[in-house]
Amino acid sequence: MSEEAQGPIAEEAQAAAVDVIDPKRQKLALGIGFAGWMIPGLGHALQRMWGRAVACCLTVAALVFIGAGMRGNLFTSEGSDAFATLGYLADLGAGSFYFIAKALETNGPDVSRADGDYGTRFLAAAGVLNLLAALHAYEAARGRKA
Amino acid sequence: MSLHLSHLQAMLLFAVVISVAFGFLSRRPSMERLKYILWSLGLFLLIGIGIGWVMYPFSR
Repeated sequence: MSEEAQGPIAEEAQAAAVDVIDPKRQKLALGIGFAGWMIPGLGHALQRMWGRAVACCLTVAALVFIGAGMRGNLFTSEGSDAFATLGYLADLGAGSFYFIAKALETNGPDVSRADGDYGTRFLAAAGVLNLLAALHAYEAARGRKA
Repeated sequence: MSLHLSHLQAMLLFAVVISVAFGFLSRRPSMERLKYILWSLGLFLLIGIGIGWVMYPFSR
């Protein structure tokens, strides 16, 4: 009987214990998330998740390289509408690779053809994918994902 | 630097890269990863080509 009565309470206590995270670990997790955002794959590399680190770095790099090669539009902070602002936020998700894409696009964007339009999507996908990877690294550092 | 890809090549590249990233982020044992990558890639291509065919009557 006592086990039945304590079951849900014990589960709640266990859940609360999982939610309470050491502030030091929380800060470390934030640092790891930030590192993962700035340099794709670094968040996982710092946690010795080598496969994921290499995969994140290579996939984001591939998307940026293809997107810039197809002369996709790389949005800037001076967007005139909500879509340009959202595009900028997505592009910025690639962290330091945003600036690499900018350096690669020596001739500027060309969205007059389908190539350039696809390139814009590749660049945005690189940013969003890197944000996802950084969030994954952050959650892993907090002990929520393996 | 200028890269010219056909619609199909661009879609295929996008699907491969995103599937690999999803597979590595969401699965751990290598076999599970491979299965997930292939499953995700198949769905990307199936849905992409499917939507292409659905839009075909309105293309001209």
